[in-house]
Amino acid sequence: MFAFIIRRVFQALIVMLIISLLGFAIKQSVGDPVREITGISVSAEERDALREKLGLNDPFLVQWVRFLDRAVHGDLGNSFYFKRPAFDVILSKAPATLELVFATALLVILFSVPIGIYAAVRPNAWPARFLMGASIVGVSIPVFLTAILLIYIFSVTLGWLPSFGRGELIEIFPGWKSGFFTWDGLAHLVMPSVALTTIMLPLFIRLVRAEMKEALETEYVKFARAKGLRPSRVLLLHAFKNTLLPVITVGGVQLGILIAFTILTETVFQWKGMGSMFIESIERADTSLTVAYMVFVGFIFVVVNTIVDVIYGLVNPMVRVAGGRS
Amino acid sequence: MTRIKQFFNSFFFYRFIRDPVAIGSFIVLAVLFISGFGAPVIAPHNPYDTTTIDIMDSELPPFWYPDSDSRFLLGTDSQGRDMLSTMLYGMRVSIFIGLGAVTLQAFLGITIGLIAGYKGGRFEAFLMRVADVQLSFSTYMVAIFFGALFQAAFGMGLYENFAIPMLIFIIGFAEWPQYARTVRASVLGEKKKEYVEAARVIGLPSRRIMWNHILPNTLTPVLVISTVQVANAIMSEAALSFIGLGMPVTRPSLGSLIKAGFDFIFSGSWWITLFPGIMLVILILSINLLGDWLRDFLNPKLYKG
Amino acid sequence: MKKMMILFLAAALLFPFSAGAKTLRLAMDADPVSLDPHVQLSGGMLQYSHLVFDPLVRWTKDTKIEPRLAEKWERMDDLTMRFYLRKGVKFHSGNELTAKDVAWTLARLKRSGDFKGLFEPFADPVIIDDYTIDIKTKKPYGLLLNMCTYIFPMDSKFYTGTDKKGHPKDTIVKTEWSFANENESGTGKYVVAEREQGQKWVLKAFPDYWDKNTGNVDEIILTPISEDATRVAALLAGDVDFIMPVPPQDFDRIEKADGIKLITMTGSRIITFQINQKRREEFKNAKVRQAMVYAVNNAGIVKKIMKGRAGVAAQNSPRGYQGHNPALQPRFDLAKARQLMKEAGYEKGFTVSMIAPNNRYVNDEKIAVATAAMLSKIGIKVDLKTMPKAQYWDQFDAQVADIQMIGWHSDTEDSANFYEFLYMCPNKETGYGQYNSGNYCNKRVDELTLASQSETNVEKRMAMLQEVEKILYDDAAFIPFHWQMLSWAGSDKLKNANDIINVMNFPYFGDLIMK
Repeated sequence: MFAFIIRRVFQALIVMLIISLLGFAIKQSVGDPVREITGISVSAEERDALREKLGLNDPFLVQWVRFLDRAVHGDLGNSFYFKRPAFDVILSKAPATLELVFATALLVILFSVPIGIYAAVRPNAWPARFLMGASIVGVSIPVFLTAILLIYIFSVTLGWLPSFGRGELIEIFPGWKSGFFTWDGLAHLVMPSVALTTIMLPLFIRLVRAEMKEALETEYVKFARAKGLRPSRVLLLHAFKNTLLPVITVGGVQLGILIAFTILTETVFQWKGMGSMFIESIERADTSLTVAYMVFVGFIFVVVNTIVDVIYGLVNPMVRVAGGRS
Repeated sequence: MTRIKQFFNSFFFYRFIRDPVAIGSFIVLAVLFISGFGAPVIAPHNPYDTTTIDIMDSELPPFWYPDSDSRFLLGTDSQGRDMLSTMLYGMRVSIFIGLGAVTLQAFLGITIGLIAGYKGGRFEAFLMRVADVQLSFSTYMVAIFFGALFQAAFGMGLYENFAIPMLIFIIGFAEWPQYARTVRASVLGEKKKEYVEAARVIGLPSRRIMWNHILPNTLTPVLVISTVQVANAIMSEAALSFIGLGMPVTRPSLGSLIKAGFDFIFSGSWWITLFPGIMLVILILSINLLGDWLRDFLNPKLYKG
Repeated sequence: MKKMMILFLAAALLFPFSAGAKTLRLAMDADPVSLDPHVQLSGGMLQYSHLVFDPLVRWTKDTKIEPRLAEKWERMDDLTMRFYLRKGVKFHSGNELTAKDVAWTLARLKRSGDFKGLFEPFADPVIIDDYTIDIKTKKPYGLLLNMCTYIFPMDSKFYTGTDKKGHPKDTIVKTEWSFANENESGTGKYVVAEREQGQKWVLKAFPDYWDKNTGNVDEIILTPISEDATRVAALLAGDVDFIMPVPPQDFDRIEKADGIKLITMTGSRIITFQINQKRREEFKNAKVRQAMVYAVNNAGIVKKIMKGRAGVAAQNSPRGYQGHNPALQPRFDLAKARQLMKEAGYEKGFTVSMIAPNNRYVNDEKIAVATAAMLSKIGIKVDLKTMPKAQYWDQFDAQVADIQMIGWHSDTEDSANFYEFLYMCPNKETGYGQYNSGNYCNKRVDELTLASQSETNVEKRMAMLQEVEKILYDDAAFIPFHWQMLSWAGSDKLKNANDIINVMNFPYFGDLIMK
């Protein structure tokens, strides 16, 4: 296990190294930071002097090596816009995104599992068909449109929920301001997490349903039924357990997709997390922050995938012993 | 002739004809495809021909309003383009990009995932880390990269001609990792099973074991992802138009029409937002319902009867 | 104990009402980038400067100059203007404003990368006494007073010394932490109480503010909301009191909504397309350029895309500028345009490339798409590419396309600024024609513009500038569109929202009265 983790840490470092290299290679195409931080009437020489001072005129490999040198000392560069180290900025924005993702994951599990199981057990019942169809509507409306429609209905028309931001926050420990512990914070969380859930839900309902259907056809479930075990027990203990594996795998993979969608959701709800920070850093050509963010996300992906692999390793033998698909 | 007869007598057709949802969504999808690809013939206007557009016609309401214009059945958008025609033309582009990109994603992802899962070891670690790098970059950055390369190589003028293949490539290339990771995980689960062992023992080549024996057993999550992913690919294209890399702004796709509708949500010109949205929902819904049915039918692990 | 709690709670609940504190919840598309007013020359930073600092003089709504920290001023000679400062004005630190602070600020402006260009004509000022200062220019300079709207005196004592990093406190730093970026001491009505960059600002009224005759807002909570639709939704839902800017497509909705007022004003930013004569042989022919101007229905664009709120333009200078030439009228005429193309020998037309930003000007992309359609009607097929502003200016400078969009607002509120940047022959050494991507070059335009710089006789200067405008019009040096409107919307609680706005887009929130 120890060797495994060491190996993964090493791989994570290489991943981050490559991301930073590619990031530096393409950052010119994102835009020119000097343009963003100077007024338009500033002379070309003045601008070039600033570019020189910031080292932006050097070839990208030189810039990259300089970045690496600093990164070794824990400095991922400086955000032009925030005028702070990029890593600090990312950490200060992370709680907002993590809370949003957590709330979304909770909602997805809460809805997809029962609906998925129901749709597998009664595939032709009209409520099952309706839910399957209706969930697709969520994924066919782009998330930014879902978000603004929610705002239109619940903030503008009905006035029930606040239209933007995170509301009242409480610092639960240094650097982590949470919205989970105030009514205002929770009220602000409702629409963004629902918007994100509508995107993820159809996939997971279908996945649970499909896997569950397979599980129900297996011999051991039939056998358990024949033995006269309670149907609910058969469903949950025997059949559902078998669907966990693919759901966890796809869940881990979907995390990357979820991050992509938080970008749009955060922007519409003015939810100041890493997603909106990333898109704004691109819009402002705050390239140091863009690259630092990608390196950070790369690290997160390796960590999450490692965790998924570990869970997989733990769950897998059990499944094989218990299940043994014919 | 016998082929066709064979088809109508097949089990596939037998099941299909007895499922009203499958038939319904097939018909809807067929109508959408025909009207999309037949847009130049069917659509009353050609929105891509800019000489026919007049800004003074902009934001006209659909036909049932008193101040509507009989030339424009479903009203016009902010440029004075006929909504109906623009949606039909745009849908054609979006179907191309959506299906094309998903096919490419699935092909790349399945191949890489199969090989990684089956071979294991260093090779697997390498491929999965490549997937992590790719995933961190997000479609946005991949597009910026290739967009810049393209412009450096060909200049500005040619963009319009190459936009569709380039977008299929970018979106397909940027989003393969989720397939790869999913397939790999399933392969890991399958490859220790008796049937694979048996195939190996009788000396079948590993390529054949991978594609013919393991793959069919890993398809369930792949098919689930694919049907959902079509919608994502269509909207990815629209998102890219913001950085100047989607379809040219004078040739809107269904995705970019929806994106443009976002600005009009409070404006009162609701048709600019709503019609393209409904069209996309119907398109994706019918693809998914048909996909749901097909998935159940094709799944080798399910008893049919 | 329980009673105490209830009392405390009640007090906490009642406090905002009983104290009569007025809080303005303000949403803008972006927040100011720093607390240092000299770090960047941008609309956002100047808006901030008007909140936290005070200028010597400022523009009124009808573009006159009114006294602020300078009570009065007089012309001493061609090069000198004497300013008499208001007495008893306190900085937020408690220090008192003196002429020394003004001189110090002017010196700092001349050091600032962004402002040094504007203050190049200025010589060192002479301090007469604590409340009198002579501001001098190197040559006679007609725009001296205009430029004094940019002088927001800073607290020289407060910004003197070294910070925790060992740098002087007055260093101007664009990209990193610096004392001036994080701390302020101005004379303005508001003190920055709390700030999370890009997220939320809390500004509190300064108790010792000199001007007692102003508005009654005690606290401003500023939230940047970059997404147009969300900003409008926040106002409609009553979560904010005032938004700027308002997207044109939502004008109707906001006007009809109860309890909300829409305010728009034609601004002074001109939107144009430049036609590159170096890239395209066809564009060297004045007839082709004229045909393009005739083909563009800019009045239609204003009516439909800008919802009638922008000012249809045929020249650069808006009304009120010295160069505004009332004889120049918009000239949309499709038949004439086709005729001109025929005369020029391009009846069959040709294909050109065009670029425009998609998040810089109001509805910039829509304008570009409409223009492409209009030009196609005279046979000019346009390959249009739009991109975000972060990428746009590099492409603009590199002149990658035949037709490029640019909007320009004159920092000096004067016509010559348009010509210096957009139409004088591009010259790397002098820096003139820096944004002339049309490569239009006309000796007479250069001569007149340069002569106008040191002309202090208003009549003569007007004649010169208006002649330039006429030449540019006749030559069809560029395709004019409109002067972009400014837009704000606020709840009815704001009683005099109409009076605090101005054409510079610096709402004077200090003067705002809330119900």
